[in-house]
Amino acid sequence: MFSRLARRQLPAVRQLQQARLKRSKAGLNPDAQRVVTQLSVMSAGRKMPKMLKLCNEDYVKHKTIMKAWSVRRKEQIREEEEVLKKQYEGMKEASEDLKRVNERLFELSNRHEYGKRFPLELRVPTEYPARQVWYYDYVRKREE
Amino acid sequence: MVLSLRCFSTTAAAYKVGCAMVKPIHHKVKIKKKLLSPRFPELKLDPSDVKSPHFRPYLTGPDRVKDFYHNTLKQDLLLIGYRHDQIDVEGVKRRHWDMTSPYHLNRPLRKPRGQVVPSPTIEARNWKNIPQFETITLNCWVKEAKLYPQLAVAAALELQQITGCRPEPLYAKTNVPTWKVRPGMKMGAKITLAGKYASQFLSTLTEIVLPRIRDFKGVSNRAGDRYGNIAFGLQPEHIKLFPEIENNQDSWPHTFGMDVTLHTSAQTDAEARILLSGLGIPFTGSERVPKTLLKDVKEEAEKDEVPVKEQEAEVKSESQA
Repeated sequence: MFSRLARRQLPAVRQLQQARLKRSKAGLNPDAQRVVTQLSVMSAGRKMPKMLKLCNEDYVKHKTIMKAWSVRRKEQIREEEEVLKKQYEGMKEASEDLKRVNERLFELSNRHEYGKRFPLELRVPTEYPARQVWYYDYVRKREE
Repeated sequence: MVLSLRCFSTTAAAYKVGCAMVKPIHHKVKIKKKLLSPRFPELKLDPSDVKSPHFRPYLTGPDRVKDFYHNTLKQDLLLIGYRHDQIDVEGVKRRHWDMTSPYHLNRPLRKPRGQVVPSPTIEARNWKNIPQFETITLNCWVKEAKLYPQLAVAAALELQQITGCRPEPLYAKTNVPTWKVRPGMKMGAKITLAGKYASQFLSTLTEIVLPRIRDFKGVSNRAGDRYGNIAFGLQPEHIKLFPEIENNQDSWPHTFGMDVTLHTSAQTDAEARILLSGLGIPFTGSERVPKTLLKDVKEEAEKDEVPVKEQEAEVKSESQA
């Protein structure tokens, strides 16, 4: 019992002793200060957004909208898959036909395309058009 | 009692019922105890629930790269990858023991021929397994951090500045006395980007950084881990071209190079390269494709049933200026 009490009081004693030590007013040296700043930039402290507090009506609204949105997205995914499946079956049918009609052309069309590359001029579209939309006199660089 | 008289001619097993009388549902159905009690309702919410502290809004803005992939690239990739009468190319799997020795019983299977871990079976192309760009991993290992541990912090901050996501620290795992490396030393940072962050990083890379690297010819056609993930390195001076670093050069007297790994759902590297070239990453050099992959059409496979040893064929890849 006594020892436990003593242990509890120990930190307070330590603090007192620390208060007596000489404090350096200069702060950290610049290198250490730099690391501290870097760490504080990365730390999550005071950067968490506040949690939303919704009333019951808003909560139900939110849930309904999210559900409807997820159903719509699922539908879009399904539609896309259907289009691709159609394309696949079309290719399969066409290849089957070609195989029956002309063996040589079929073999030419059925070679693997492992070295194929999309042209480097292909761009991911942006929301707004570029300042110069089209390079009319563009000539592709030739490789030496 | 019969059970008390145990003799050598009978065994305990004879008295046991052959099958379980009760279906062992209690093994299969996990009971979440917190859901049983009415206390703390706010701790039982699903993470996708707005009221949960784990809730993260997602798909909050348009994603250019994703839209481009779904609107343009996906159909083309299906067309490029399609081969008529294509069959699955069986990977090298673990082998059974030949049971010549009684010790083979219950042994774990033998290693696959020529490798340690089995390789996956390459499925024939169809409309469901079109390669897709998934994640990017940035790995920044700073060798000097063994002497100056603050460099690992700076490297982590650099990754955070470039990507806008939180990096995780990397630690040394081995003890190498000659390099003065001990386990537990913080040696850098890494980060895995997915979704909009990955798209954002990829477009910055392909539209701003890579075109301005003077000596950049393209990512090597030999890069890759065989299973559809392509990796390349960025030098410290290339990192300075990222707009976040470039516009704040005073704070970055020292930058750190990193390894960039582009993870795709492609089954082979060659397919992954076709996909990534569509997303704006140039490739150079000669390409090699394993010969087993070239023989994936039905008739040819029937002719030679002997498994072809892992060989590689040079494939002429279209040059990209």
